[in-house]
Amino acid sequence: MQTVPKCGILNYVAEQASIPRALIVGAGIAGMQAALDIANAGYDVVLVDRLPSIGGRMAQLSETFPTLDCAQCILTPRTVEVGHHEHIHLRTYSEVEAVEGEVGDFRVRIHRHPAYVDWEKCTGCGFCQEKCPRKVLSDFERGVGARKAIYTLSPQAVPNKPVIDREHCIFFQRGKCRACERFCPVGAIAFDQEDVVVEERVGAIVLATGYDLYGLSRMPEYGGGHVPDVIDALAFERLLSSSGPTTGQVQRPSDGQVPREVVFVQCAGSRDPEKHLPYCSKVCCMVTAKQAILYRHRVHDGQVYVFYIDIRAAGKRYDEFTQRAMEDENVVYLRGKVSRIFRQGGKVIVWGADTLSGQQVRIAADLVVLAPAMLPRPATHRLARMLGLPVDAYGWLLPLDANMHPLETVRPGVFLAGAGTGPMDIPEAVAHGSGAAAEVLKRFARWPDTPLPVGGDTEGKE
Amino acid sequence: MARIGVFVCHCGLNIASTVDVGRVSRTLRDCPGVAFTADYKYMCSDPGQMLIQLAITEHNLDGVVVAACSPAMHESTFRKAAATTGLNPYRVEIANIREQVSWPHQGAPEEATRKAIDTVRTLVEKVRYDEPLTPFKLPIVRRALVVGGGIAGLTAALIIADAGYPVTLVERSDRLGGRMAQLSSLYVNFDDSGDLLAERIAAVSGHPLIQVLTNAEVTGFGGYVGNFTVQVSGLRSQVSGYSNLKPETLKPETLKPAPHTFDVGAVVLATGFDLYARENLPEYGGGRYPDVVDSLQFEAMLREGEVRRPSDGRVPGEVVWVQCAGSRDPSLHRPYCSKICCMVVAKQAIAYRRVVPEGQAYVFYIDIRSQGRGYDEFVQRAMEEFDVVYLRGKVARIVEQDARLEVWGADTLSGKSVRLGADLVVLALAAVPSAGSDALARVVRVATDESGFFSEAHPKLRPVESLTAGIYLAGAAQFPKDIPETVAQASGAAAKVLQLFAQPEMVAEPTVAAVDERLCVGCGLCVPACPYEARALHPWRKLATVNVALCQGCGACAVVCRNKATTVRNLTTGQVLAMMEAVLPMTSGQ
Repeated sequence: MQTVPKCGILNYVAEQASIPRALIVGAGIAGMQAALDIANAGYDVVLVDRLPSIGGRMAQLSETFPTLDCAQCILTPRTVEVGHHEHIHLRTYSEVEAVEGEVGDFRVRIHRHPAYVDWEKCTGCGFCQEKCPRKVLSDFERGVGARKAIYTLSPQAVPNKPVIDREHCIFFQRGKCRACERFCPVGAIAFDQEDVVVEERVGAIVLATGYDLYGLSRMPEYGGGHVPDVIDALAFERLLSSSGPTTGQVQRPSDGQVPREVVFVQCAGSRDPEKHLPYCSKVCCMVTAKQAILYRHRVHDGQVYVFYIDIRAAGKRYDEFTQRAMEDENVVYLRGKVSRIFRQGGKVIVWGADTLSGQQVRIAADLVVLAPAMLPRPATHRLARMLGLPVDAYGWLLPLDANMHPLETVRPGVFLAGAGTGPMDIPEAVAHGSGAAAEVLKRFARWPDTPLPVGGDTEGKE
Repeated sequence: MARIGVFVCHCGLNIASTVDVGRVSRTLRDCPGVAFTADYKYMCSDPGQMLIQLAITEHNLDGVVVAACSPAMHESTFRKAAATTGLNPYRVEIANIREQVSWPHQGAPEEATRKAIDTVRTLVEKVRYDEPLTPFKLPIVRRALVVGGGIAGLTAALIIADAGYPVTLVERSDRLGGRMAQLSSLYVNFDDSGDLLAERIAAVSGHPLIQVLTNAEVTGFGGYVGNFTVQVSGLRSQVSGYSNLKPETLKPETLKPAPHTFDVGAVVLATGFDLYARENLPEYGGGRYPDVVDSLQFEAMLREGEVRRPSDGRVPGEVVWVQCAGSRDPSLHRPYCSKICCMVVAKQAIAYRRVVPEGQAYVFYIDIRSQGRGYDEFVQRAMEEFDVVYLRGKVARIVEQDARLEVWGADTLSGKSVRLGADLVVLALAAVPSAGSDALARVVRVATDESGFFSEAHPKLRPVESLTAGIYLAGAAQFPKDIPETVAQASGAAAKVLQLFAQPEMVAEPTVAAVDERLCVGCGLCVPACPYEARALHPWRKLATVNVALCQGCGACAVVCRNKATTVRNLTTGQVLAMMEAVLPMTSGQ
């Protein structure tokens, strides 16, 4: 490292104080990409995620369209790279509590939840999880799989350190058990751990806060929340995933049977200004086509129906992919809305319309998968308020200008990436992550006294 | 005696449900030179890597074989992990027992396990003869070339230059702005395209670190990431910005229309798109009827502020838009969806109704693809506030009759065929790679996909990189995309350039071809055999040479070399023979 004036020939107005260090909120695929691109240019990055480990939504996916790459397989090289990067400082299981200051010198208060495990001592051996007697439904598995009260999100978690869920831990609830403590070979269990608040100083911030799905229980007309065999798209991803609770076997939640007839309902909560959300969630058409194909790969004689309004397959090889679903996998696409879904005996009955034939349709299905609308994560709104950023009517983060400045915000030094700005698929989120990194790198370079991570070569700068 | 460690990964159940990983580990323990074996559920996880590191230290291992997934996944992970213990990373090899064993042989566990054992054995032999290697370090030219002066190229150039690195922007036409300069306004707020663009062009043109070359094309290209040599022809017209730096050499009058050669370290390709030719759609009267226009012609009318028929200058009272004209038609035209046309058409229909309030707009569509913030709502507005009539169906034919057009189509929702009279028809033609991008792809050697768009390095995780190191992609040259997506992607491409330029030097893999000067006779057979142009004859000695930055270690040279003067480091003939002997039954005497 050496200190050289970065842009000798440029007469930029010296921007005030300048800490060439970035904070990234959200360690999903967009946030990780931004972190890697900034860190690989030699600058320090603080990467915050509310979950115990990084990877975000992509870690929950089975395979990805349109190439059917296994999500975990292409993601782990990334999470491992992020986890081991000398310039990336992970702050997982943490949330941003307050931000003060301006571009060049933000002071960020980060609140870390107690893991009740000393991560310095823990080797990630997994004995504690094996021995913990308490099983609970896992959020990561979207309720179709279980975890222990002491848990990591997945065996490939980065960092691979467990946390104790206080709500369900027998010791915290009843004052005895301590099985994890007894079996931990390195004495890492720390029931007395407390919340920690740290302050980080950074020059720029990237918000990559991602998305949530519209809740099933908000769609009772589709059986959401009360029919066990009506699940959402992420739960189906877990069923399809070879690292999921069923190791990739498609089994319906109610009785573990392999469903023979599966109905997918697109636009569940999307494009419905009267009852739900008016906007299109952009990725569900492709997600559904992929899930239909993957289901057929696992249940060769299974029958799939997809209810849709428009098939939105706009991307490289996307339209061809949905054609494959129809032609090679005999997926029946029905253009129309579903009016009601309810349980009858062991079946789930779907009432819908086929607007092409003008007929009413009734399907007795074994499993129904809703492709719910996407929503910004709840924390997004809080962060936006904290930073004085505008959001749209649904809480999505708004850029400085939709066309010309899609990654910048009204607040200098604060940038956006990924699905916190609106629904988008993985390649778009990755491009966003890199793009936000460029905005950060450009500013770091302009700061007058930024140490240049390059050894002396200023040939290019004349 | 070698001290090799073998580490067998379960990959959860990905490998372990088919391959008996314990047996692989136990069997390899008896292999000569193997000092340690272990199996673990996820070798790539932190505890898995730690297991390898501990074993290297405790058992004093001098080589490692990790039996796991494809080396494309985690070779670098395990090499880095081993390197922290002091072991040379090139003495770490991956035996792929997932993609090449457990996945294709599900249902045959016994055979799969035997194949896994054999696969690991071959890699043990390879490691036994692997040399410790050190990567090459090469200097980086910190100047970027951006090809294409549309919104993608402008954005990428500006970011790179703002970060302090010089950029040469090459534009084929006589002005900057690309397709965006041809647009009237942008969806969904009807912002003036020209105004937004002018600001960015001014920033680029006035930038002291950006050299703009118009009427220019890349005609020659060589070298490798960090050290490309570019030849640009046709330097004729205005040069702006950069002339502030070296006015004496770059004044327009001093430029000759001769090729001009310079070095760059990175390239951004932002060559945009063209519209599929109207003439390809004779059934729609494309190119034959003057009042059948394409969407860019309609934009030109909107820019003028007047919509008039080309044939007679009358204001059209009824306009029909035909979406997917040439798109989504695998049998006759382009198979893919052009992504942006649905929104362009909705915008044009609204704009038309604003200019001609009493006019009627019809749109034929297959699916309405309005995916983006406020996009779906925008199309709804077209239908509800501007009374645009959307008809779901394909148009079969367009015929001219009595100075009007008749559009014959189907409405798949009512199941009826429709005939609409129209004064003007606008075809939303497919977006295709811009003319000349295939030639450019050949010159700079980047891969293109089946439709002629530049191929990204990975469809999910490396969307702004080409398959050629140091060459990045921005905008519609990779696939049709709208302005927000193009700007984001162009910024992403710029990030890759900045990241590269921030490195102190280029690191090149040492597992490349090497020439034994005692054996080489300079016959030159290897030169044409090399697909990467990494081989050349020494200028005066009777010898072949290897450009280590270009060499990919494929081994084609080693195969054609008559006297075995060329070998690929750590994939020598001796190693390959040892690997084969480890598994071929007639020779395995162990």
